[in-house]
Amino acid sequence: MSETTQAAKPAPVLGRLAENSQIVLLGLLVLLCIGISLGSPQFYSVENIIAILRQCSLVLIVAAGMTMLLIAAEVDLSVGASLAFSGVVAMDVTNKTGSVALGVLAGILFGGAVGLFNGLVVTRLRVNSLIATIATMMILQGSVFLYSREAVQNKHQQVAFTEISTGYVGPVPIPVIIAAVVFVAAFIVLRYTTIGRYIYAVGANQKAARLSGIRPERLKLLVFVVTGLLTGLAGLILTSLMNAGQPTAGRGFELTVIAAVILGGTSLLGGRGTLIGTLLGVLVLKVIDNGIIILRWDQNLQMVVPGVVIIVATYLDLIRSRANAR
Amino acid sequence: MGRITVTKFLASLLATSAALAVMTASAIAAETPKKIGYVTNYATHEWYQNVIKGMQDRAGQLGIEFEVRDANLDVARMVSAAEDFMAQGVDVLIITPVNEEGAVPLVRRAKEDGVPLVLEGNPVSGMTTMVAICDYDTGYHAGVAAGEYARDKLGGVAKVMNVGLPLLSATVLRSNGFMDGLKTILPDATMVHDLDGGGNPDRSLEVSAAALAQNGDINIIYGINDSSSQGGLQAWKAAGKSQDGLLVVGTGGEGLGFINMMATEPSYQIEAAMFPEKVGFTSIDAAVKLFNNEAVPAHIVSPTTPMVGTDSWKQYYSVEGTTRTINWDTVNAVVPADKCMKTAADL
Repeated sequence: MSETTQAAKPAPVLGRLAENSQIVLLGLLVLLCIGISLGSPQFYSVENIIAILRQCSLVLIVAAGMTMLLIAAEVDLSVGASLAFSGVVAMDVTNKTGSVALGVLAGILFGGAVGLFNGLVVTRLRVNSLIATIATMMILQGSVFLYSREAVQNKHQQVAFTEISTGYVGPVPIPVIIAAVVFVAAFIVLRYTTIGRYIYAVGANQKAARLSGIRPERLKLLVFVVTGLLTGLAGLILTSLMNAGQPTAGRGFELTVIAAVILGGTSLLGGRGTLIGTLLGVLVLKVIDNGIIILRWDQNLQMVVPGVVIIVATYLDLIRSRANAR
Repeated sequence: MGRITVTKFLASLLATSAALAVMTASAIAAETPKKIGYVTNYATHEWYQNVIKGMQDRAGQLGIEFEVRDANLDVARMVSAAEDFMAQGVDVLIITPVNEEGAVPLVRRAKEDGVPLVLEGNPVSGMTTMVAICDYDTGYHAGVAAGEYARDKLGGVAKVMNVGLPLLSATVLRSNGFMDGLKTILPDATMVHDLDGGGNPDRSLEVSAAALAQNGDINIIYGINDSSSQGGLQAWKAAGKSQDGLLVVGTGGEGLGFINMMATEPSYQIEAAMFPEKVGFTSIDAAVKLFNNEAVPAHIVSPTTPMVGTDSWKQYYSVEGTTRTINWDTVNAVVPADKCMKTAADL
């Protein structure tokens, strides 16, 4: 009894913090911005804000899909490998057909096909998504080199292709606009549509959802495909940014995405999470990443910080679950 | 009698000649190993693909059977592949160690079994010989070329963004060599940003973008490999900056990427070519020497040289479609250094 009491003691404070994770994140973001800009005023330069937003956009596009997946109590660890392969396919098809539109379509559809594959393995073969998508990651990382032994260059120097990432609409970079559109669409789907509510229901209690007439497998398959398509889109933007399809790109990208989503308050156990939280999670991680360089700190911290963040965020998630259970 | 003697003499001469011919033929056969096994550490990487290509070319020229196994960055796989080769009875073994400590037992085992062993890339305690480029020298000569370029075309100003990889001694040596070489021409050259681009393009792009936002007052981007220089340049372009007055220097010459960059990006003017095919070629030659018990130095240097100017690569390579072919005559004419100016031991 006393043990239970002792163990539960810190929970109310942490639990309240965890419940208000978005406010905590927003506060943390503000503190980070103030702290970094005090150390280096260039943090607020237009160039730096654009650089941060461009990097955020890549992560946010995939994180929107990953948020839905985690809410549905599934995960996709193959997004980094798929990101690279989609970009290689997009560049290759653009080179072979001379059509940027076809290249764009091919890259996005390739990502979607990977998502479909993951979804089928998880929902039909009943393989745990953690295992299934690690396997897919390995398959993709190996097969991208069977597809192309080296980086696929923008052979015809198609300006329209590079404009996808470096172009602007007014003062806003195109990738930021794409990420904003994806974010708003995903936000509306999750918050205001039946499908969104079903995703939460399936993640929270799959059996209950099934008894209510929802078909969880079909819904999860859909979310895997959506995540795949968004990964293909992000891969396309990255390829455009590098002006080449790079088979070695995207290593560790999946961890950044998952760290951002978890940090944003989405539960690893499913059934809970918001896209606003994910947006804040992405911003916090990328501002930290940027700040380390801007402040000229040791860049190894860029690997350390997301690791620490994952542990802290997961712990907060556990605290929150306990608080909810009470 | 005299006739008989002459006939006998001619017969013995013929017999002696035949015997000599047989002995010479077997001596020639003994000079070339029948089979060489190569354990590479990461066959999917462009660098090693071209190392293998060079080995295959040279083994083909010498009529040697050549087999490759990939450790895929796994020490256990490296050990089992090497042990398989030794069990098969290859005449010479070549290994690119996944890590130096993991290869020590293999070096010992090869010595015990009398199998000549050539290491490629990295030294291992107890080794007989290693074929590798000089990383410091590679950066140094590229730095000298960059200094001359900056003196002639950039107003004598050199402000460098180094897209490096501080975790590896080889890449640190390249960066140090580059700055040292640059300063021989322009003593006031400065390194404005010293970045860790992880050796991959997307990471290089990301860190370069942040660094340029912090301070964009640079005019030279140096990359420790082609992906790093490409990432740095793309960050420069993504920031909307003009390539006028910018010099990009890549390192490696690993595949088609640098050729495309030199052909299409006006600032990409220098590539520190490391000729992976030549590394493979030299490794086979070293294997043959070891097989014949010839004396070999502990470090056989494979040559590198800076390529300066948009079309400079055409001297060493030709490209058809997506295949590049090395020009052996010009690459073999590049004279390697007798020894490296600096090595990891000097760091």
